[in-house]
Amino acid sequence: MTHQETAPVPALELRGLRRTFGDKVAVDDMDLAVPAGSFYGVVGPNGAGKTTALSMAVGLLRPSAGQALVQGVDVWADPVEAKRRLGVLPDGLALPERLTGGELLTFWGRFRGMPRDVVAARTAELLRVLELEEAEQLGTLVGEYSTGMRKKIGLATALLHTPRVLVLDEPYEAVDPVSARVLTRILRRFTASGGSVVVSSHVMALVEQLCDRVAIVVRGRVMAVGTLDEVRAGASLEDRFVDLVGAPDVAEEELAWIAG
Amino acid sequence: MDRGMIALKFAMLRNAMPGLRAVGWAVGGVLVLATWAAALLVRDDGVRRSVLTLLAAVWTVGGMLGPVLTSGAGVLRADYFTLLPLRRRAVGRALLVSTFVSIASGFVLLALLAGTVHAAGRGAGAVAVAVVGALLGWVLVVVLSRLVYGLLGAAMQSKLGIEIAGVQFGIMFAAMFAGWMIVSVAMQSVPVLLRDGLPAGPVTTVLEALPSSWPLLAVDAAAAGDAGGALARLGALALLDAVLLVVTVALLVPRSARVARRRGRPRSRGLVAGGGLLPATQTGAVVLKEVRQWRRDPWRALESSTALWTGVVIGVLAMLDPGIRPVAAFAGLVVAFVLGLSGCNLYGQDGSAVWQNVVGEDATSVRSDVRGRQWAMVLVFAPRVLGVSVLFLVLSGAWWTVPYVAGAVPAVLGAATGAAVLTSAVGVSPGVDPRRRVGPNDANGNIALHVWVAMVATLLGAAPTGAAVVYAATTGSTAAAVLVAVVGVLNGWAAAWLLGTLATGYLRTRMVDVFSRIRYEQVFRDGEDAGLLDWIARTTLRGETRAKELKQQERDKRLARARSAA
Repeated sequence: MTHQETAPVPALELRGLRRTFGDKVAVDDMDLAVPAGSFYGVVGPNGAGKTTALSMAVGLLRPSAGQALVQGVDVWADPVEAKRRLGVLPDGLALPERLTGGELLTFWGRFRGMPRDVVAARTAELLRVLELEEAEQLGTLVGEYSTGMRKKIGLATALLHTPRVLVLDEPYEAVDPVSARVLTRILRRFTASGGSVVVSSHVMALVEQLCDRVAIVVRGRVMAVGTLDEVRAGASLEDRFVDLVGAPDVAEEELAWIAG
Repeated sequence: MDRGMIALKFAMLRNAMPGLRAVGWAVGGVLVLATWAAALLVRDDGVRRSVLTLLAAVWTVGGMLGPVLTSGAGVLRADYFTLLPLRRRAVGRALLVSTFVSIASGFVLLALLAGTVHAAGRGAGAVAVAVVGALLGWVLVVVLSRLVYGLLGAAMQSKLGIEIAGVQFGIMFAAMFAGWMIVSVAMQSVPVLLRDGLPAGPVTTVLEALPSSWPLLAVDAAAAGDAGGALARLGALALLDAVLLVVTVALLVPRSARVARRRGRPRSRGLVAGGGLLPATQTGAVVLKEVRQWRRDPWRALESSTALWTGVVIGVLAMLDPGIRPVAAFAGLVVAFVLGLSGCNLYGQDGSAVWQNVVGEDATSVRSDVRGRQWAMVLVFAPRVLGVSVLFLVLSGAWWTVPYVAGAVPAVLGAATGAAVLTSAVGVSPGVDPRRRVGPNDANGNIALHVWVAMVATLLGAAPTGAAVVYAATTGSTAAAVLVAVVGVLNGWAAAWLLGTLATGYLRTRMVDVFSRIRYEQVFRDGEDAGLLDWIARTTLRGETRAKELKQQERDKRLARARSAA
């Protein structure tokens, strides 16, 4: 794993980023810097504000306050340049559901202004590497894809235009172990060539295995941040996480009937 | 279990839209009264028989088509029960039984009992036959309705189902646009029908052969003293009911594995990534994606088939009234006009997929998206508009209308694509997110205002051609008529360009707000106001929020009732 501590401009930087929904503060003045070339994990319990923060970072949600910078380019001041450098995999959003995977990639490549032959070659290669070729042969529409296949085609759309920074929301959810290895190989090659990856997840083991840097987000705030070893401080990441989040105890007499 | 399932169905219906159900009940009640009124008003037995057999056939066809639009029959689905430890045949039977217990089915029974009027005063035997016949006819209608609904694969899963729903919406729209035509046709034909009955000939022969007519034929047989003939007809109907029951129960039995549907043609890699007739530009990419969505997405297909059928129905209505027959030649214009309404919520229909427009933003992406959507609408709708225009020109024989149609069609088509995309941009009304859609109304939220905005914008956009038509019609010269065609083409182009440019300008800084309306149901933006467009945006958003609040209030009230009852 390479990380260039000396790189002056972070791949992704959040400065005092804030989002309120009515009275609820979803993201609370969040500061975060993702060094270039790093594989960065953002972990947190459900509803911690991970997705909200990443949505603001990639230009999908206007912040109440603060800035998001991609390689020093402000996402909200110069969106076109920032978005050229970004590859995004959102979680739980629709796609043009009535296209096949290949049609979707072709549309996306051309929509992003790539030449026809480049789109064709990359589409074919991505479908093959991500094992979506058979579905393509059958004419399966994206709307008929399984959750894991959707993640894969989503990743393919994120990668297609050669971005420098990938922001992936729950990329491994529902992906089978074999495909997960393929995904990991792709992402590692991406960071090895100087690209940066930010993933959000609540699967600690996965983050521990993949990432060199971690931020733990709880209730819209960054509770711990640093290299993997700094954050886990001798314990496992899960223990550190549970310490910070706090876990409710299940008393002996509760749910006693389960045993029967 | 049957009772449990009926209770479940009513509970689910209570949670559906209460207003719409009340309207349905009112309409059903009026139709029952009309059936009885027709039976009572006609004095002559022969005419009454012809009127009642026609009405019975209409009720049967209505029963077969009705459930596709209203949710009654589709409320309970076999796959809800696949995981419960129940015998499969029992589930199928209970599902069928639950169909019989409904308001709509009650209306059908009441309507069919109008057959007793035909038997009244012609002997106790005839009355008994009429009652038994009405019951058997009722079973026929209800079972058929469930069978057809099941065969259509819950309507939105099959092409035929979409087309049928399209016909229904088309009739509804046509009634709204041209209710006066229906009234005029009815005013002319109903009194004739009630006085003379149907003309003898193939229509009557076919009608009397239909099972829905058998109870009335049995009544006539009984009244004439032909007990054998009466019993034979009732027996045949009972047998048919039994067969349909068996078939329907078998169809309703839950299947554990959904039959996977695949589109037949495997696609070659070349076709997918490299080929296609359209240019490999940003706009070309959007056009191709949109045309595919229009063709493959059942909700979009429903919109386009509704436009088609609205035009056809209005054309047919105009043909029925000799006084206004030349109006039929403009049926294609109606298709073009309804396009403006069909496409008035494109971004809302895309749902959260709009994130791609936000993330893929570049200097030209918004313009390409707007123009691509407009071109796709033209490509999808123009053949339908042309087809309907040519068909009704030929049928009506009003050839003098050709220059007017040739001018008005491009003008309205152009204005409608512009109005549609502008309304889509300003009034985003997300329905159910694409992957969770089931019913035909799921794709849109509250588009009450959108429809008006799109209609007004289309009319304003095509106004110059309207003026040219008036001018040409008053002068009556050939040159003026040709002028209309020229003005129409230019007008259509200009209106599409202008309204599309407005949409592009509006969306350039607001694509993320479109996504916000879909994803977060609010817009996080202050200051800056684009006047009328922002007013429409705020009003449609308020309408959306209001509809949600009403639903929430309804839910709260129900919760409070449940609490106080407990």
